[in-house]
Amino acid sequence: MKINLKSPVSMAVAIGVGIIVLAGYFIPSFTNIRFILLRTGLVLSAVALLVGIINLITVHIKKLGADSENSGYSLILVIALLATLIVGIIDMVQTYMVGKPNFQMTSWIFTYIQLPIETSLLAVTTVSLIYAAASILRKRMDLFSIIFFFVILLVLLGSFSIPPATLPFLHMIRVWILRVPALGGARGLLLGIALGTITTGIRILIGTDRPYGE
Amino acid sequence: MSATGFTGIVVIVLFVGLMGFFTFINKDKKTTNIRPIPAYDRIKQEINIAVEDGTQLHISLGRGGITGPESAAAFAGLSILKQVIEKSSVCDHPPVASTGNAVISILAQDTIQGCSKAISVSDHVRNPSGELIGITPFSYAAGTLSTIRDDNVSANIHTGWFGNEITWLTTAGERQSSPTIAGTAQLPAQAVIYASASDPLIGEELFAGGAYLGAGNIHEASISAQDVVRWIIIFIILASVLLNILGINTFFESILAGST
Repeated sequence: MKINLKSPVSMAVAIGVGIIVLAGYFIPSFTNIRFILLRTGLVLSAVALLVGIINLITVHIKKLGADSENSGYSLILVIALLATLIVGIIDMVQTYMVGKPNFQMTSWIFTYIQLPIETSLLAVTTVSLIYAAASILRKRMDLFSIIFFFVILLVLLGSFSIPPATLPFLHMIRVWILRVPALGGARGLLLGIALGTITTGIRILIGTDRPYGE
Repeated sequence: MSATGFTGIVVIVLFVGLMGFFTFINKDKKTTNIRPIPAYDRIKQEINIAVEDGTQLHISLGRGGITGPESAAAFAGLSILKQVIEKSSVCDHPPVASTGNAVISILAQDTIQGCSKAISVSDHVRNPSGELIGITPFSYAAGTLSTIRDDNVSANIHTGWFGNEITWLTTAGERQSSPTIAGTAQLPAQAVIYASASDPLIGEELFAGGAYLGAGNIHEASISAQDVVRWIIIFIILASVLLNILGINTFFESILAGST
């Protein structure tokens, strides 16, 4: 008979650690243990990142072999990942040899490749958000969508700060919307999210939700 | 112990007690009495369509980890992933999962393998993935687009922790004319989801997935417990307003300030 010890042990560890970390928030004598466990969790997260990257590169190497229309993207990803990794290793070796931080090449990659790309994508996101707001009435023509659309319009019009386009009355409406209904609604949503977060956490702590295997 | 710490313990004990109570009184009930949420009805409908058409569902779990405030949303996404995989076990093509966080990626793969064993899907090819797509918001969004554009994906379910970059995913789904069910715990992204997803999950609806997808009595008890605590909070807010008007507000101020 095969006895599977993995599941009960992992469940006991997860529940035990969860209860200690939770207790650390309320009982001062558990605070140090909480920090130790959270630090351990962060180290494990870093290891998980390494596992995730190995998984990512494995998946994309497999895609290179397959006759897929996206195999070109996979090739770029694999080359970029390996190039960044090699540059990072060279920088790290140089740092150890010189004895002081020297991450010039890595910084160059982030400043001149990563940052401009992410900034461009942020600009695309702005366009995408405007498109989403403009198309809401086409998707759902109901009362709440109409209110949503006109509130966005009012807030945008009230945000103009260029003198000819500044409308004091709309600015006052914008401030009122942000301070009263928007703030109240946000607090209501946050309360609902907090309640949902607590019940999700409790289900994991008592072992009825097990996102760490069966 | 501070007043905040004491209040926290009281809230946790209250929730555990209420969840236990509602689980006990509902254990023999065959029907559930919860308000309909269109997004979850759509998920069930899309599972049936995927079974009929031989297509597959795409579930993206966002980029939330397990050590921050975003963890609950990530766990809620994993819970929905588990239910969808169990319910779509007879599909020709099982669901595909994508994540933007390494830990959640491992947990997703673990959930998928656990479900696959439970539903006796032993063929490795049939097992759905749980890939880490990218670790920054835009790399994750950009990497997920190719999955959404896959002609075999009939619907997209985005449940987890997302920022404004979710507009890329929802817009891509719209362009493919595939339904998009989306929910997150981040407030600005909720506004984006409301505007761009065909079936948005607003506020705590994200955390109710288990109850609506048949994960068990404890999930329904969670919703009942939330409702009870919600009424208690409403009462406390109204009472604090009244006490404030009457000038008796020291107790609530000390709780909010976290003083002893």
